[in-house]
Amino acid sequence: MVSKTSMNCGQVRRLLPPFLDEELSGGMRQKIASHLASCPTCRTEVEALKADMGLLEQVGTPEVSPFLVTRVMAEIRQRENRSPQGFARLVRGLAAALVVAVSIGAGVFFGSGLAQASSTVAANSIEAEVSYVESSAADMYRLMSGGD
Amino acid sequence: MLSDPGVPVSDDADLVRRAQAGDLGAFEELVRRHQRGLFSYLYRMCRNTSDAEEMAQAAMVKAWEKLGSFRGASSFKTWLYRIGTNLCFNLRTRRKPTEELDETMGAPDAERPEAAFRQKVREERVRAALACLPEDQRAALVLSVYQDMSYKEIAETIGKTVRAVDSLLFRAKSNVRKALAEDRAKGVI
Repeated sequence: MVSKTSMNCGQVRRLLPPFLDEELSGGMRQKIASHLASCPTCRTEVEALKADMGLLEQVGTPEVSPFLVTRVMAEIRQRENRSPQGFARLVRGLAAALVVAVSIGAGVFFGSGLAQASSTVAANSIEAEVSYVESSAADMYRLMSGGD
Repeated sequence: MLSDPGVPVSDDADLVRRAQAGDLGAFEELVRRHQRGLFSYLYRMCRNTSDAEEMAQAAMVKAWEKLGSFRGASSFKTWLYRIGTNLCFNLRTRRKPTEELDETMGAPDAERPEAAFRQKVREERVRAALACLPEDQRAALVLSVYQDMSYKEIAETIGKTVRAVDSLLFRAKSNVRKALAEDRAKGVI
């Protein structure tokens, strides 16, 4: 007679796959282990199941192509370039490059213009100075010579 | 590929974060890590090398495109395999699986030709037993036996509950054992 806490052979065999896959809780595992300890028929069933699953494990697969990664990445890059997001990224990249080029150009242009402006101001200042010195000298000459 | 011992190896979650930020190099590393397992799974599902490679490539390209919607509720691996599973299940409606030469056996054992032949026949019968299973049973069994996935991971990969996976695996193992028992009774294996 089967007690309330013990399991019969049918119940145990239904749970053998998760038992062998270690997917059962500790209490359930214990119940099955107790049953197997006292039931040679179910122990034979466990060994047969393990042997058949072992046959499955022996079956290999072909090697994956060494070019699979290259092909995947090439397809992704191609799609990226065609997609709106990829196009947007391209436009953003070009825009950024354009901003940098314009900034450099503007720097060069305004930089040389400023230098030119500075030299013009300096030249004008010198001319003014020379003119002032010349007029001051003429005034002094007139005073010394007593002329008006 | 051997990694540089001086460079720390990133886990999948870190690579996914970088790839989501647009780092193609990080995604390439994910592809490199999972290509063999994904191809192997898909090959066991469809038994055809070129179909398996085509599906693996399509799954990885789709993963890149959908990466923004990946929230990390499952692992990247089970998410990628789920994309592959959907592609595989969809393919069955378009194409019948084709038989091809066994590419996994390598050169026959010259010293023990009879043993090599028996092994080849045994492997072929196991493949045939797997091929006869309904697709959801086959997917659950392949993920359990060859990918070493837990029932929870299998459930996430094939879009079922853990209870349904338990039931699928019970039926799959029973069916495979029945087919192998018939082969033994006929003396084929």
